[in-house]
Parts: sequence; structure tokens; C-alpha cells
Amino acid sequence: MSDADPGRARAAVDRAADRMLDASVLQRVVVATASTALALLVGLAVVAAAGYDPLLFLGNVFEGAFGDENALARTLKFATLFILTGVAVAVAFRAGVFNIGVQGQFVVGGVVCVVAILRLAPALPTGTAGGVALLVLGTAAAALAGGAYAALPGVLKAYAGANEIITTIMLNFIAVGVVGYLVEGPLRGEGNRAPNTERIPEYVELPAVAFDSPDFSVVGLAVALAVVAVVSVVMTRTDVGYDMVTSGHQERAATYSGVDAARTVVATMTLSGMIAGIAGAVFAVMVQGYYSDPSGVGTYGFDAIAVSLLAANNPLGVVPAGLLFGALDSAGTHIGINSDVPVQLIDGIVGLVVLFVAAPELFRVVAPRAGFGGDDR
Amino acid sequence: MSVTDYAAENRVRVGSAAALVVLVAAAAVALDLLVEAIVTVGFVERALQAATPIALAAIGGLYAEKSGVFNIGLEGFMVFGAANAAAVTWLLGGGSPSQADLWLAILAAVLISVAYAVVFAVLTVRYEADQIVAGLAVWFVGLGFGPFTAVVLWGSRNSPSIASVNDLTVPVLSAVPVVGRILFDASPLVLLTAVLAVAAWVVLYRTRYGYWIQAAGENPEALDTAGVNVARVRYAAVIFSGAMAGLGGAVLLAHAGSFIGTGDTMVNGRGWIGIVAYLFGSYNPLGAAAAALLFGGLDMLQIQFQTAGIDLPNRLVNLFPYVAVVVVLTFWGSTRMPAAVGEPYESEE
Repeated sequence: MSDADPGRARAAVDRAADRMLDASVLQRVVVATASTALALLVGLAVVAAAGYDPLLFLGNVFEGAFGDENALARTLKFATLFILTGVAVAVAFRAGVFNIGVQGQFVVGGVVCVVAILRLAPALPTGTAGGVALLVLGTAAAALAGGAYAALPGVLKAYAGANEIITTIMLNFIAVGVVGYLVEGPLRGEGNRAPNTERIPEYVELPAVAFDSPDFSVVGLAVALAVVAVVSVVMTRTDVGYDMVTSGHQERAATYSGVDAARTVVATMTLSGMIAGIAGAVFAVMVQGYYSDPSGVGTYGFDAIAVSLLAANNPLGVVPAGLLFGALDSAGTHIGINSDVPVQLIDGIVGLVVLFVAAPELFRVVAPRAGFGGDDR
Repeated sequence: MSVTDYAAENRVRVGSAAALVVLVAAAAVALDLLVEAIVTVGFVERALQAATPIALAAIGGLYAEKSGVFNIGLEGFMVFGAANAAAVTWLLGGGSPSQADLWLAILAAVLISVAYAVVFAVLTVRYEADQIVAGLAVWFVGLGFGPFTAVVLWGSRNSPSIASVNDLTVPVLSAVPVVGRILFDASPLVLLTAVLAVAAWVVLYRTRYGYWIQAAGENPEALDTAGVNVARVRYAAVIFSGAMAGLGGAVLLAHAGSFIGTGDTMVNGRGWIGIVAYLFGSYNPLGAAAAALLFGGLDMLQIQFQTAGIDLPNRLVNLFPYVAVVVVLTFWGSTRMPAAVGEPYESEE
């Protein structure tokens, strides 16, 4: 890049973006499928090595994920949360910002949602109208809180050069510790034995449609899919999204064509954190109805990293990846109750999926030798 | 780089660290805190013990990064180190293992970590895996299979009390006040870590191998031209980092005496703090060890606060090291990384 020629830089950015956005979807699907299959195989080998029956385990996995209406509702419940947190991760990763702090933003969003609903409820009418208003306000508060909690490491990265991977992980610990302290003490519901906040009012809930489940509502899933649609449009069809994606992959070219890299980092983190906050709100309202010690609320924000990577950080790809992880987690719940194979195995398999996804070269080298085609290179 | 060179090149850093110490001391005097109740010989001992796992992981991590591979999986290797050390101790000695069983288990945990590190090295060096994603994956795999091992062996994510390492008491010298108790009546693993830190410094800055590692990260082409196999140097550094992090996890277990697999396991972010320790220490093994001591001290403040009668909720005091990491990264975050970190190198031949 010798002389100033914004037109040429813009063209370079365009080419990079095109390559990235279209880059053989087939190839990515192959890598994702192969990674999942290989991880499951290793998982089954571990099951066998630990002295359990791998076929029985596999049967339990399917039964727990799709066996009956309960299992299906549970799968969709987890999938809803994985899709939302997965999109939060995808937004950041796509822009080259490693937001590992989705878990913390999810926790902060969830607790802020519950507190907002509890504080605002006396001021609003009870009944459906008040319930809807509280849901909207609570979710908005969650998005703001999640966004702000993610903006902090964004600012530290953009203006102080602090590695966001490490700061966001530290902020996860800090969120869990501080919120844990708050629900144990200052925010604890009156007369609660367990360290929980008060319950939100009965009329603040997502309606049960199609599934008669206490902790899953199709409305929650619809919210998740709506967020996917919005993010997908923002990332591919707007200037902001375009700047985010290009600065993630062609930082110098993007800067050269006039993108403010520091501001883009902060914007990306904020958007990512807002989505994580919404995920926290959906969890708090749909699943819990109150907030408890965050060290026990589940690691959606971490698993979301695997979901996003499996989807090649594509917001649309997060939907099938989220369903797959929802099924795996649902199977884990079932296995935890109905079999003596330790459920932690599922976490290990998730980790292996990520490990294999990280090394697509592995499949490119191994696949031809093993006689697989399926690669358009 | 000698210690004086280090001080000269990092005047701002050393100066601000000194200023920080003075500031904390001034605050303590101003607020009339019971300094002698906080900084006790027991506190120094505990801080050293808490610092060792972090220091070991940090020294391993800086070797890998110096050679051009960002081993972000230190935390995962530590989880494996702790879980495997607990498992092997249990398998050798059951509920009442001897010290020999424990030492054998530490050795075994390191060897198992070496095996995993070989896989990680092959994926990152040979198959050019995304170093950040692969490193995160190691953490996830550790968080899954570490507790999995515990559940298979003990039916619970936590182990029963197994064994912790006995202090090494040097006769006569241990009777020296203060220093004797800290250095000559202490965990042998603390002494081992100190020896390893010095050795790592000597190798990195005073031997051919150290220069190869630095060159592999700064200018792999030049190293290649000089006839040294870049991939081989990186393999060695990455495998060493896995072994050191595994040792860190095993040491954590040997000090604690039982494995905890709930939440983020007993490692609980120490691998991540290790990364910050070597960034803070400018990739210098001795600097990294000193930074680890800072984090270890913060980690142990809780007990001191309790004995000094300072009433802060435990949950919040426990967060000090994490807050310190964010502060450190904010002020020293833009440390210059080796030039070729994260880039796979392919030889022309």
C-alpha cells in the first residue's frame, strides 16, 4: 500500500468480504460434521474405556434428546439459549474480537432483568398488559447491562491494548462472584432459605404454546430466531456490519478505507454483550423466574463458543449448531438421571468438537487418504 | 538479559511497581490497618505456595509464545495436571497414599500432559490449527474430562482427601528466624519452582537453545536460513509449556490435598492468570515468577483479612486476583509480542 488510493483499498476490502461471506459453505459444513462425528467417536471410545456400554450410551443420547415430548421441549429450551448466546459469540468472533465473556454478560443481563422486573412491577398494572410491559422493560434493561459489561473490555482492548480474551475471562469470574454475593445478601428475597432473589410476579411469563413445559416456551425460541434474523441482516446488509466483518479479517485494509478500528471493536463488543444480555433475560424469565447463585446457572456462555465455532461464526449457522448442542445438553440431563455414565463426558465431547473445528487442515489432509471426497478444493 | 538490563529496559514498569508498593504501604498506614497482622510469615508462605502453580504455567507459556505459538490452553493443561495427579495418587495408594506415591503421581501427571501437549503441538504446528481456538478447546476438554475422571473414580466431581506434600525441613537453617521458616521449612515444590524459574531464565537468555526459541518467534526465516528447523524448535517449546502447566496443576493438587472438579475446577483461572503473569513479566521467566507471586499474595489475602478482623465478604475478596489482572492488562496490556506469534511457518524446502 504505497500511495493513497481509497478506491483500491475499498476494492480489497470488498474482495476480502466476498471471499469470507461466500467461502465454500459446503467445506464448512463438511468440517463441522466431521468434527462432531469424530468428537462423538472419541467420546464413545472413552465411554468404552471407562467400562460402560457405548451402544447403550448412544441410545440414551438419542432418547434423551428426542425421545418424547418432554425430551424435545428440553432440547428446544437448551437450543434457544445456545442460539442466543451462540449469536452473541458469533458477532464478536466474526469481527475478529474474541469475546469469551458471554457467560458473564449473560449472568449480568439475567440478574439485571430480574431486578428491573421486581422493582418496576409495583408501578405497573398487573395482568397481561403489565406482564408484557415488564417483559419488554426487563429485556431492554438486560440488553443494556450486558452491552455495558461487554463494552468495558471492548474499550480496554481498543484504547489500552488489553487482550480481550483474558479480560473477558476475568470479568466472567468477577460477574459470578459479585452476583453470587448479591443474591446471597443484598438482593436475597425476604425469607428465602436458598440464596435466590424473589420470584418475579406470576403474570410476567412467556405463554405456553404447543409445549406444556414449565421452562420452555415457543415464544422464547421465536425471540432467539428473530435475533438471528436481525443480526444476520445487520452483519451482511448494513455498513456497520460490513465494517465489523472486514475489520475482523482485513484489519489494515479496513483501516485504510476509513474504518475506525477502535470504535468498531467497542461497537462489536457492545452488540455482542447486548445479545448475551437478552439471552440472560430469556433464561431468567423462561427457565428460572428468579435469579440464583450464578455459579450454578449453567455454562451457556462458554458452550456458545463451541456453537459459534461449529457454525463458522455465521449467525444463520448458529441455528443448526445450537440445536445440536441443545440436543447434546438435553441428552446429558437424561443421562445424568437414567444412566451411570458421568455427564461431564458431554462437556469433554463439546471440547473435542472445538479442537477439531480449530484444525480444518486436519480433515483436508486426512480426508483424501481415508478415501472421502466431499471437498471442493 | 540480565536483571540490571531488565530494570533499565523496563524503567516505567519497575518504577510503577515500586510506586504501587509505596502507595499500598502509605494507604495501610493512613487507614491504620494492621500491617503486621496482614504481612506475616504465614502469609508469605501461603503466597509462595499459591504462586507456584501460576509461576510454572507462566514459564511454560512464555516459552511457547517466545517460539511463536500462543499456548492459550495453559488452563486446560493445568486442569489435566491436577486431575491426573489426583487420579494416579489414588490408584497407587488409595485413601492413604505415601509421599512416594504422590511424587510418582506428579511425575505421571507431567508425562500425561506431555502426551496431550504433543497432540496440541501437532495440531498447531503441523496442521496449522487456529492457535486461539485450539487453546480454548484444550480448556473445554479439560473442564469436561477432568471432572469426568473424578466421577469415574470417586462418584463425585470432587475427590476425597488424598494427600498433600510434606514440608521439607532443612535442619539448622530452618531455625533462622523468618527466612528459615519461609525457605527451609517449606514445600519442596516451592523450591523446585524457584530452581526451574532460574533454569528457565538461564536457558532462554544464556544458551543456544534459548536464542533458537527467541528467533523462532521473532524471525523464523532467519532461523531457517541458519539451518535450524523452526518446526522442531516450536514443537519443543509447546511440549515444554504443556509439561510445565501440567506440573503447575499437579503442584496445585499436591498443595491442596484433594481434587475439586465443580465449577471451573480447582484451577479456577490460574492458567489464565499465568498468561497475564508472563505478559506482566515481559516474557522474562524471573519477571513472570515475580508477577505470579503478586497474584498468589492477592489470592491469599482473604485469610489475612479474616485474622486481621477486616470484615469484607469472602466472595468479593476472592475476586482480588481477577480484578488485579484486569488492572494489570489495562496499564501494561500493550506489551510487544514476539513478531511471528500466531503465524504458522512453512519452510521453503
